[in-house]
Amino acid sequence: MAELSGAVTDYDHEIVPSVRRTHFLKRVALSPGGAFGLAVVAILVFSAAFADVLAPYSPIKMGVGKRFLPPSPGFPLGTDEFGRDMLSRMMFGSRLTLLIGAIAVGISLTAGMLIGLVAAYRRGWVEKILMRGTDVLFSFTETLIALAFVAVLGPSLTNAMIAVGVAGIPFYARTCYSAALVERSKPFFEATIAAGAGPFRLVFLHLLPNVLPTMIVVATLGVSAAILAAAGLSFLGLGAQPPQPEWGSMLSGARDYFNRAPWLMVIPGIAIAVTVLGFNLLGDAIRTALDPRETER
Amino acid sequence: MWRFLGGRIAMGALTIFVTTVAVTLLIHLVPGDPVQIMYAQSQGTTPEQLEEIRRNLGLDQPIHIQYLAYVGKLLHGDLGYTIRGHQPVLDVIMQRLPNTIALAVAAMIVAIAIGLPIGFFAAYKRGTAVDTGLMVVAITGVSIPHFWLGLILLFFFAVELGWLPVSGTGPLNIVLPAVTLGLSNAAIVARMTRSSMIDVMRQDFVRTAEAKGLPKRVVLSRHVLRAGLVPVITMMGLQFAYMMGGAIVVENIFAWNGVGRMAVEAIFQRDYPVIQGFILTFAVVVVCVSILLDAVYALVDPRIRRA
Repeated sequence: MAELSGAVTDYDHEIVPSVRRTHFLKRVALSPGGAFGLAVVAILVFSAAFADVLAPYSPIKMGVGKRFLPPSPGFPLGTDEFGRDMLSRMMFGSRLTLLIGAIAVGISLTAGMLIGLVAAYRRGWVEKILMRGTDVLFSFTETLIALAFVAVLGPSLTNAMIAVGVAGIPFYARTCYSAALVERSKPFFEATIAAGAGPFRLVFLHLLPNVLPTMIVVATLGVSAAILAAAGLSFLGLGAQPPQPEWGSMLSGARDYFNRAPWLMVIPGIAIAVTVLGFNLLGDAIRTALDPRETER
Repeated sequence: MWRFLGGRIAMGALTIFVTTVAVTLLIHLVPGDPVQIMYAQSQGTTPEQLEEIRRNLGLDQPIHIQYLAYVGKLLHGDLGYTIRGHQPVLDVIMQRLPNTIALAVAAMIVAIAIGLPIGFFAAYKRGTAVDTGLMVVAITGVSIPHFWLGLILLFFFAVELGWLPVSGTGPLNIVLPAVTLGLSNAAIVARMTRSSMIDVMRQDFVRTAEAKGLPKRVVLSRHVLRAGLVPVITMMGLQFAYMMGGAIVVENIFAWNGVGRMAVEAIFQRDYPVIQGFILTFAVVVVCVSILLDAVYALVDPRIRRA
C-alpha cells in the first residue's frame, strides 16, 4: 500500500493540488459507491473467514432440517432439496466466491502485467508479437477462451478458475501496455535510463509502480467479471460440481424447485448480484479517487 | 478507407489462422488419451477399433501433417464427424448457427433500443440526480448475472403468467432469451453511450454550434449524436461477440437450439470434433461481424473515409 499511496500523491500533486488534503482511502470510503463496495467486501471477507465458526451447520451435510423449509428463525435462509442449511451453504459459498475472484484475477493480473510491461519496455518485434497476439485473443472474447479451456481440462471448479483467469489475460495486458507506454514517454523515465538503470530496475521499480494504480482499478472491476464468469460456468455445470456450495451451481440446482422453494433461487442470485455490484462500485470509486478529473463525468 | 479496411481484414485473417492452429492443438492438450476419453462412454470398443479411430482422426500422424490435413479438409468444407451419431460437424453447426445469430441480433436490438436512449439522456442531464439515478440502474444491471435474470423472467412470464413459451425454438420463443441477453448488455451500452456523448458535448464544435444560435434540438441531433455515435459503433463489434458468448448460457436456460447449447453438450460428451468446429465457427462469425462493423464505422466517420 505504501508505494500505491506514494504514487497517488505524486499524481495528485501534478494535476490537482487541492485533493491532496484528503487521503486516498478516505476519499474511496466517503463516496457512496465506495462505501457500499467496501461494506460488501467486508461482509464477504468476514463470512468467508469465520464460516467454520459462525455457520450453524455443515454446508454439505444432508438432512440437518426437513427438506424445503422456508426461511425461519431456526433456518434463517431455509433449507434445500436435501435438507441442507442454506445459510451455512451461502457462507461457505462466499469462501469459494472470494477464492474464484482472487485466483482468476491473480492469473490475469500477473500474466497480463508481465506481457504489457515487457511489450511496452522492449518495443520492436517483441512488442509486435505480444500485442498482436493479445489482439487476436481479445477478439475471441473471454467466454470462448474460458469455454475452450474447460473443454480441454474438463469441468471442475479449479479448472473454471484457471479458465476465467487465462481468458482475462488479453484485457489486462492491453490496459497495462497502454498505461506503461504513457509512463515510458515521461521525462522521468528517460532520466532513469540516462542514470544507467538496467532493464530489470526500469521495468519493476519504475514502470510497475506507476501503472499499479490503473491496474488496481482494472483488477477490482475484474473481480466482478471473474465472479460472474465463473458462476456462469458453474451454472452450466462446467465449473463447481455438487455438492460444492458454489452460488452459481446452487442456482442451477434450484431451477427444478422454483415453485416449491423460490428462496433457493432468489438467495444465491441476490448474493452474486450484490457481490458483483459491490466490486463494480468499489472499482469505480477507486478510479474516481485516483483521477479527480473523472468526478465530473 | 481501403487501407484501414485492408488492415482489419489482415488482422481477421490472422485471427482465423491462429484459431485453426489452436483448434488442431486442442485435442493434444487434453490430459490423457483423447480417443479413450471420447469413447469412454460407449461400451465395448475394442483396442483395434480405438486404433482405427485414431487413424481416422489422423492422430497417428506428426502434428504439422495433422494441421495441414485439418486445414485441407476445412477448405473443402469438411469439419469432420461427430463422435455421437457420426454426422458431419458442419451440418450440425449450420443447422443451429442461424438460431444463435438470430438470438444475438435480437438481443443486440434490445440492448441498443434500451441502452442508447438512456445513455444519451443521462449525458444530456449529466451531473443531475436523473443522471446519477440512471447510472445506478445501469451499474446494477451490469451486475445482475444474466443466467439469474433469465430464470426469473422465465418463471415470471412463462411459468406464472403463461404469456410466453417456456422453452424451445421459434418466433415467440426468442422473446425471453433476447430480452435476457439484451437487458444485461443494455446497461453496458448505456454507460458507453453516456461517456462518449459527454466527451463530444465538451468539444469546441458543439460550443460553436450553440454559440451561433442553433436550436438545442439541432445541436443534439446533428452534432452531438452523430459524433458521439462513432465510438459506440466501434464498440458494437465487441458487443456482438459478447452476445454470442452470452448466448451460450442463455440458450441453455431456454433450450434454444443454437450452437451454444450444442457446445456445452459437446463438452459434457467429450465430442471434440464438435467443440473444434464450434470454436472455429464462433471465431469466423465474430471476425466477419467486426469487419462489417468497421466498414460501417468507416462510412460514418469521414476522418477514416478520406484518409
